[in-house]
Amino acid sequence: MPDKDGQVGTSPKRRGLRHHARSTLPRLLRFAIEQLLLLPLGVIIALAWVNAAPESYYRFTFSIAFLVNDVGIAFFFALITKEVVEATIPNGVLHPLRRALLPVVASLGATAVPALLHVRIVESLDEPMLTIGWRVALATDLAIGFFFARIIFGRHPAVPFLLLLGIACNALGFVMVALFDPAHDIRLVNGVLMLVAALAIAAVLRRQRVRSFWPYVLIAGVASWVGMYWSGVHPALALVPIIPFLPHAARDPGFFVDARPGARDALSQFELWWRYPAQVALFFFGLVNAGVPMGALEPGTWGLPLALLVGRPLGLFAGAGLGLALGFHLPHRVGWRELTIIGFVAAMGLSVGLFFAAAILPPGQLRSELSMGVLLSLAGAPLALIGAWLMGIGRFSSERQQR
Amino acid sequence: MRTVGRALVCVLFVVATAPGTLLGQAQRALPNRPGSVKFAAIGDNGTGEHPQYEIADQMSGLHKVFPFDLVIMLGDNMYGGQQPADFVKKFEMPYAALLSAGVKFQASLGNHDRDENVLYKPFNMNGQRYYSYTRNNVRFFALDSTRMDDKQVAWIDTSLARATEDWKICYFHHPLYSNADRHGASVDLRVRLEPIFVKHGVNVVFSGHDHVYERLKPQKGIYYFVSGAAGQLRRGNMSPAEQTAAYFDQDQSFMVVEIAGSEMYFEAVSRTGRIVDAGTITRQAKAAAAGSPPPEPAGSRR
Repeated sequence: MPDKDGQVGTSPKRRGLRHHARSTLPRLLRFAIEQLLLLPLGVIIALAWVNAAPESYYRFTFSIAFLVNDVGIAFFFALITKEVVEATIPNGVLHPLRRALLPVVASLGATAVPALLHVRIVESLDEPMLTIGWRVALATDLAIGFFFARIIFGRHPAVPFLLLLGIACNALGFVMVALFDPAHDIRLVNGVLMLVAALAIAAVLRRQRVRSFWPYVLIAGVASWVGMYWSGVHPALALVPIIPFLPHAARDPGFFVDARPGARDALSQFELWWRYPAQVALFFFGLVNAGVPMGALEPGTWGLPLALLVGRPLGLFAGAGLGLALGFHLPHRVGWRELTIIGFVAAMGLSVGLFFAAAILPPGQLRSELSMGVLLSLAGAPLALIGAWLMGIGRFSSERQQR
Repeated sequence: MRTVGRALVCVLFVVATAPGTLLGQAQRALPNRPGSVKFAAIGDNGTGEHPQYEIADQMSGLHKVFPFDLVIMLGDNMYGGQQPADFVKKFEMPYAALLSAGVKFQASLGNHDRDENVLYKPFNMNGQRYYSYTRNNVRFFALDSTRMDDKQVAWIDTSLARATEDWKICYFHHPLYSNADRHGASVDLRVRLEPIFVKHGVNVVFSGHDHVYERLKPQKGIYYFVSGAAGQLRRGNMSPAEQTAAYFDQDQSFMVVEIAGSEMYFEAVSRTGRIVDAGTITRQAKAAAAGSPPPEPAGSRR
């Protein structure tokens, strides 16, 4: 029956449903993006797809792998860098820098112990080729870690400690991947020259007080990408050295706190513009890199999660002990019990872990085993929650509950 | 006396007809022609345990009547410890008779091998993870399927394009097609390698990884064999599919192959010497290899 507008099948009820759907979908998307759900969603789809129809999964993901892993994810790392840059300005967790010294020293233990443990475990499980995965044992997912740390600790000095630890662990991981796993045949001189040119361009733009982020991204960023590609450094890190040149606000709005919509500085503008596209890139990153066929898995798969879930807290104890011996101090209200929980939370390496696995290995059995190991390291979240509950830490503490 | 004579005749009959006996071996179908390319294929062998030695003994016995001078190793050449003493126990001792007879082993690496095994001289890898070599009119390509990076994919593409030999045989650890339950096909590898194999007219592919024997019906013009039970065994692990031509998952096994002109003869032999599969493949015409399906091998599963 035509309605009063002469359209067939568009009753008011249907129009209402359509309108409801139109307004619900963007809201759902916004919710998914703000709650960091797109990466896990990509992971879940990848796991289901590769085990149901592997051929079509690989054809699709191989065709977009370069675009996602070498270009798209650069904006995610740029946003993480933006958080770190802001953390170094007044009010930021990295300001003053000496606050970061103990977590940085602790990160030595928190990376070395799981890396060594991983090597020992995969050797004992008779998968010597998986020893290459020790680099993946250095990774920590800052966003997921921050999410769970806030759930457990609320506003507590343990949260910035975790972030500093995660930044230091990942920085060590990126250095190791760059040193041990150059992306391809390198043209070092050309690459370094191009990188220097990129930094010079960014410095000139800053000196000229260019307020738009676009020249930084399109000129300096592209030059940096080419320079890194030629140097054998993973080009997904192309924007990392460029972001610190972007003019920014005088005070840090807070870690993973969105910039105000009216913010005028280039760094905040960059975040506002790229926040959603970077999350979409993260979705495709999960889709491309987390497709693990269950048949490919061998016992060595357990090496990485075991190394992380046992080695990260133990390594953190060792590293923090070293820091204390060197005369640094733990933050107020952070003791060994809190360090245990921080260790479990920092064991989760989702985005950075998958990135390292993809950077050091081509698709195949070994990468599948490492990627599954990264996914299994998410067991750090329930372990941290249960541990905090058992030890009465953070929001589970009796003082807090009495209040 | 007559009873004893009858008993002797019966015993002789049983011995002569039982699978895996010397008489059974002497009746193998390989033509054993002079000047042909003769080789054996072993996968997932390096356990150092009794079944590996028994397979090696079968290979040595067969070598006396079928003098192959090459063994292609399909990966997982060493399990567990890989110290010098392990190389003795898991390679040099079991294959001592073949090594002393001058048989050359050409290895590819599996996921249980170590990178540095490419330097172990008797594996003849000359420090390379992937390489090629020829025997008469056959070019062999040994690949490292555990780390199939872009560089290796480009290498196999170029090397296959340049190969002028009549036969192109690729071997590596992870199978592009397999119907074993434990691992099955490595589809990620298949998506990357199969178009290259088809484009350049690869004739036959040998793999291991699944601890069974399986012969597949030609896939896009290429014959595939899984032979990953020359030491390890996953008994009863096969779930034969429509693409399975023959299989054996009840005991350890290895393969012997002979290429004479445009024919490739093959046999899969069990730990007890029983021939579990055999047949003949006629070399695909280049057009057929690129498109229309070739015939299934003449021969039989026994």
